[in-house]
Amino acid sequence: MRVTIDGSAVEVEPGTTILEAARQADTWIPTLCFDERLAPFGACRVCMVGVEGNPAPVPACTTPCRDGMNVDTQDPASRRVATAVVELVLSELPEPPAAHTELAQVAARLEVTDQPRWPGATHPVRQELDHPYLAFRHELCISCGRCVRACDEIQGAFALTAVGRGFEANVVAGMDSGFRESTCVSCGACADTCPTDAISERRLIEFGDVYATISGAGA
Amino acid sequence: MSTERFDHEVTTTCGYCGVGCRLEAHAAGGRIASISPALDGPANEGHTCLKGRFAHQFTRSRDRLTSPLIREGDGFRVASWEEAYARIVRELTRIKRDHGPNAIAGLASSRATNEDCYAMARLMRAAIGTNNIDNCSRVCHSPTSFALRKSLGLSGATGSFTDIDHADVALLIGVNPTQGHPVVGARIKQAALRGCKLITIDPRRIELSDYGVLHLAPRPGTNAAVVLGLSHVVHRDGLLDDRFITERTTGYAEFETLLDSYGPAAVQEITGIPAADIERAAHIYGEAGAASLLWGLGVTEHKYGSEVVQLLCNLAMMTGNIGRPGAALLPLRGQNNVQGSSDMGALPDTYTAYRSVADEATARSFEEAWEVPLSREKGYTIPQMFDAAIAGDLKAMYVFGEDIAQTDPDTAHVAAALENLEFLVCQEIFENETTRYADVILPASSFLEKCGTFTNAERRFQKVEAPIDPPGGAKTDFEIITTVSRMLGHDMGWASPWDALDEIARLTPEYAGVSRDRLGRKGLQWPVAADGTDSPTLYEHEFATADGLGHFAALPYKAPGDAPDDEFPLVLVTGRVLQHYNAGTMTRRTGNIELVDGDLLEIHPDDASRLWITNGDLVSLRSRVGRTELRAHVTDRIEPGHVFTSFHFPETRTNLLVGQSADVNTACPEYKVVAVDVRPVSEQPAFTPDLAGV
Repeated sequence: MRVTIDGSAVEVEPGTTILEAARQADTWIPTLCFDERLAPFGACRVCMVGVEGNPAPVPACTTPCRDGMNVDTQDPASRRVATAVVELVLSELPEPPAAHTELAQVAARLEVTDQPRWPGATHPVRQELDHPYLAFRHELCISCGRCVRACDEIQGAFALTAVGRGFEANVVAGMDSGFRESTCVSCGACADTCPTDAISERRLIEFGDVYATISGAGA
Repeated sequence: MSTERFDHEVTTTCGYCGVGCRLEAHAAGGRIASISPALDGPANEGHTCLKGRFAHQFTRSRDRLTSPLIREGDGFRVASWEEAYARIVRELTRIKRDHGPNAIAGLASSRATNEDCYAMARLMRAAIGTNNIDNCSRVCHSPTSFALRKSLGLSGATGSFTDIDHADVALLIGVNPTQGHPVVGARIKQAALRGCKLITIDPRRIELSDYGVLHLAPRPGTNAAVVLGLSHVVHRDGLLDDRFITERTTGYAEFETLLDSYGPAAVQEITGIPAADIERAAHIYGEAGAASLLWGLGVTEHKYGSEVVQLLCNLAMMTGNIGRPGAALLPLRGQNNVQGSSDMGALPDTYTAYRSVADEATARSFEEAWEVPLSREKGYTIPQMFDAAIAGDLKAMYVFGEDIAQTDPDTAHVAAALENLEFLVCQEIFENETTRYADVILPASSFLEKCGTFTNAERRFQKVEAPIDPPGGAKTDFEIITTVSRMLGHDMGWASPWDALDEIARLTPEYAGVSRDRLGRKGLQWPVAADGTDSPTLYEHEFATADGLGHFAALPYKAPGDAPDDEFPLVLVTGRVLQHYNAGTMTRRTGNIELVDGDLLEIHPDDASRLWITNGDLVSLRSRVGRTELRAHVTDRIEPGHVFTSFHFPETRTNLLVGQSADVNTACPEYKVVAVDVRPVSEQPAFTPDLAGV
């Protein structure tokens, strides 16, 4: 099959998604809920693109290519959706995401760098730091579902659960018992995929005194 | 993960289990800051377990060895490298002169690189002049190696981990992948969730049993009867691949006759598995389009472990489940380089690729390359080394990367052997049980501090690159071994491990096309042709035996070396837990200790209540050869009559309990069947009545 991405033609296998075709063509499409190790989810709406003949933008991660499809990744309507999503996501965080995180990088690339236009409520700070390796900072969770899916689809530990609705949406380990009391096997797939460091490697966070007391950190 | 937080990134291969995960190691300030999985790692595909990802702090643990130590009185003193080297050379030269080269033995390590192991083998063969070289695969998968060579030709898995994704049925026997090989365990679990039927055979109900269609719990030591029972039903009910048997194999007629005695009822008698379950398992396996077999140390570490592997080969051959996608025999290797250390000829009877030391052409090719005469006589295996040391025939040992006093069976016997040596060199990253007996201790390097290659359980050579340097005065194993060799008068002539790899490829037809450049990011699965073509699947068209045929082995069930009786009524099985790795030298020095901080004795509630043991009690565990104490964990994961413990903590000294019984063909110890007596140790009176009026 042949598709056109931003004017350049790409040969793809049937079943290839627009996102995969774009990556094949070295064309960047922003994503937040996507991880190549996981089944496409289509939740975040940041990967929207324009398709010739389609009345509205489509999500690149879940839309399969059709032969002769003409894709515009710079489509203004799509970009408007993507930037609005990122801006809304950022507006809920109590602090901007760390520069190395995927969310910060996507925001920078989409030029969502000003203060959010909607200075409403932010997630309350809630941190779990009792695991030797994994830190859980719930206030940074954007409910992309990557950690939950990594735990299910890669490790098969089924230790993480999406909870709450709307603004209250978050993720918890076990029945909100924390990693240590859940079925977690400490594989770290959740921290590896998290785009905001809501779940991260504990030793990589500077927690002041907490950090210094971590067993082995000074060794 | 963004790279800007770290100084540099190196892609290397994990040094924990035999899965061979490719890792991105992120270093900052000369230390490992973080490790993440390589997305393109063939075995791990962007995943890793808590050991590979997190358990790296041991590399900068305060008790790393950072300078050579020399025995002085009852303790050790710090010495310079010059002094340590001089002492080693002087003692080895003296012992060789007075007692001959066979009074010296070396041990290579299945945790070390191929190049380290090859160098150690060359040190013993060329610089010392003996074939007394062995490695720790002796005590884990030597039966697998022996049996696969006998039945099929080559000592390695017949396929790759990707076969798990294509299998309709996976039969797991004596292996607990979610604990021992977590990334493969996760892959098997995902396959099961997609519909691959799992059959688990283990005295314990392992985690994957919960995801399978059938779990069989045989009495420890009766695996042979289980596999013969399955084969009986496959044969009786015509689930055979007749064409495969006729065209590709030999010896079936004799095996067929043997099967008569292993009807399900007879097998139930021996194994305790209900006959109906044997029938059902045989049908699931025999009717599958593609079925894979996976096994681990629960098969090999038995008196007849190698024979059970041969019987597994029989089962695969009679159903034609070899050499096709999804139909593989996958022994899950314990340590990161169990496959490679033996491939490299760190064995008393073979050069690289299992070519006999007695084979004239092979010996000549090494004599030409190394420019020294080489012995055609087999050397000592590890157990023979201990016996020879006790007998006074073996005077010196050079051990690297292996804590034999902790991990080998019958600890008292090993200690007696080590005490009887005149000279012992240990090359280690930490002091351990074995270094207590050393005369010289050399500070060496971990897998994150060295370069070279590991070969994983799929026969895949993968590159190891160093993200950090060894700490303090520690050196790489490769530098130490090649320096000792040069000082003994045999210059190996290599500037780096990559030169050694080139030599290995040049002298070994099966690895002819292996080179640093060709290995790239994804490695190569041997045999590798001179043009670099590798072999993800073996035996697609013929076997690698002399006649090109698969060999059926007609081997009856025989009772294990130990059995419960009135005095020792329970059977102890030993194994691993997810959070720790073998002797625990590395994982005990990481945050993993916060997750699991001791070995526990798993015991069934029925046995526990009969013995007045409750969860968490300290219990005494006594076998025919030793005694130890540990805490009880009451669980119905284990069958009544059996108990289980891991061996990760030196204070437990689990191996004090294990006797001398070993595999009949390879001397691999029978760690998995030990008759024991378990009883509570009263720390405090269980009940103290209140005294009236006080």
